[in-house]
Amino acid sequence: MLTSAQLDKPIVDSDLQREIEHFLSYEAHLLDTNQLEAWDSLFTEDGMYWIPLEHGQEDPVGMVSIAYEDAILRDVRIRRLAERHAWSQQPPTISTHQVTNAIVTAHDPTAGTLTVRSRFQVVEWRKRNFLRHLAGGYVHDLIKIGEQWRIKLKRVDLVNCDGVHDNFELFV
Amino acid sequence: MAEADPNWVERLVEPARVHKAVYTDQRVYDLEMERIFGQAWVFVGHESQVKEHGDCWSTMIGKEPVVMTRDSKGDIHVLYNRCPHKGAKLTAEGCTKHKPMFRCPYHAWMFRMDGSLVSVPHRHGYDGTSFDPDDPQFSMTPVARVENYRGFVFCSLSEEGPDLKTFLGGAITSMDNFVDRAPDGEIEVAGGVQRVMQRSNWKIFFENLNDTGHPIATHESSFLAARKTSKHKLGGEVPFQLHIIEGNGEAPEFWESLDLRAFDYGHSFMTAIFHAPKGKISEDYKAALDTAKGKEEADRIVSMNRHNTIIYPSCSPHTGFHQLRVIRPISINRTMVEIFTFNLKGTSEEYWQRTITYSNIVNSPSSTVMVDDVEVYERCQEGMESDGMDWISQHRGEGRDNLLDREIQSEGISEMPIRNQFRAWSHYMLGTPASIPTGGGDS
Ligand code: FES
Ligand SMILES: [Fe+2]
Repeated sequence: MLTSAQLDKPIVDSDLQREIEHFLSYEAHLLDTNQLEAWDSLFTEDGMYWIPLEHGQEDPVGMVSIAYEDAILRDVRIRRLAERHAWSQQPPTISTHQVTNAIVTAHDPTAGTLTVRSRFQVVEWRKRNFLRHLAGGYVHDLIKIGEQWRIKLKRVDLVNCDGVHDNFELFV
Repeated sequence: MAEADPNWVERLVEPARVHKAVYTDQRVYDLEMERIFGQAWVFVGHESQVKEHGDCWSTMIGKEPVVMTRDSKGDIHVLYNRCPHKGAKLTAEGCTKHKPMFRCPYHAWMFRMDGSLVSVPHRHGYDGTSFDPDDPQFSMTPVARVENYRGFVFCSLSEEGPDLKTFLGGAITSMDNFVDRAPDGEIEVAGGVQRVMQRSNWKIFFENLNDTGHPIATHESSFLAARKTSKHKLGGEVPFQLHIIEGNGEAPEFWESLDLRAFDYGHSFMTAIFHAPKGKISEDYKAALDTAKGKEEADRIVSMNRHNTIIYPSCSPHTGFHQLRVIRPISINRTMVEIFTFNLKGTSEEYWQRTITYSNIVNSPSSTVMVDDVEVYERCQEGMESDGMDWISQHRGEGRDNLLDREIQSEGISEMPIRNQFRAWSHYMLGTPASIPTGGGDS
């Protein structure tokens, strides 16, 4: 990761900065509007979705996480939400995602890779009494394939990752 | 359930049904804290959580904050987590280090890891007073009894009652098998602790752990989704990560064919529903176990295949995938479940990663399986808090139990383990915990 001194100015030009910010907003839009298959197709074939359990967790395979999902597990989660007898989704969870403070911290034009860090606020609503506020930081490792940015890793660092949790049903 | 009636608790439990008040009446909950969590052997932690002098693990035993410590001689203690001066808790929750001693954050009294007082500041302020540093009332208080069974540390807040081995009874075989599965003979807590909040009474979770009647109904959304994923994405192949989701959709005959066993003090287990996948990871593991224990003994160890074991009223080991779920009642309708994963010494990195994968998929707060469990627990809690009906049925398989020697056996879909829990519950609540019969054998 670059030091703050190196990040006092954008490391990419404003067109690319806007393009990446749009990508993050678009991803959030797909989650908010429940277009989960389109959201999933933003990932590369081996792309991972990760919510660490501990602050600064480096290891997703030798330590437990809140979630660490590949294409197969994301597919199960998406299909489950569409099942008629997904009891915990009666009524379904509604969510809103806000993404801000996007800073590109790495960019390799030759390899087509880019890392962007941002902050998020997510509010989920379910049933008459369940309003949940989630907040923290995202790290997206992206790669450009053709004209499309795709996600190699979406890391979700919750401010309360080490707390006691209600269930995570949707994607944060 | 008038309080004036001295037998009000007794009247809440019948042989195959219980009154909803056991889940919803605050007076019942308060009495449980005193008579169940204040009496029973309750799981505190595993010795590997306090490896060195000064290591501490803080948790709750019923409503009592306690801290498990390791002293300079290597002995383990369980102390009430409060300062004898003005009551301040000495440690934060979870793992902390206090080498070489506790220092109270309020007035800096110092204590050894066995709880004994080392010093107080402004000592002369106590000159001529009745303060006596050797009087135990000025040291941290140890809990009444602590026992360590093969690394699993339990405590009882009561001087009375059976020893730990007697308490565990036939369920001890699950604790043994948990440790025996390590080729090097040792296990350790590793990889972080997941924590889940359930909006329901603690007993609802215990009843579910051996409730073989629920998976087909409750887990339909996840097992159907997993099957569709397998079909559409993998050409019908079912890798491990899908097996442990779609396995809940086995046919009714499968659940009926399972074996349920229950013991004194409310413990029980059911036989396995998920098996370790074939392939190199399992083969290498078995080879290591063969070398360490001899083939015959290794065969015996891995053939003891169990799903959840219930150690009532505090924890549930899963021997095959090396998980231990610890159940902490928070209030009458809130229950915290902590999930510990265990690394078996003498196994490969890949084997350990499979343990992690299992926990992430089945036990983590994001589990697509457990989410429907937690939902139905909450629905039970909400339903029972209403006035529609008073009694909760546990009739499935009633009267068809096999009474063995201090052990009850029953068919796969029986609610026998639930009835067995309430038999123990009644005895605790009526204040006669030393003599809990299961109805089996010589009792
Ligand atoms: S409360 Fe602990 S030293 Fe005063
Ligand atoms: Fe379940």
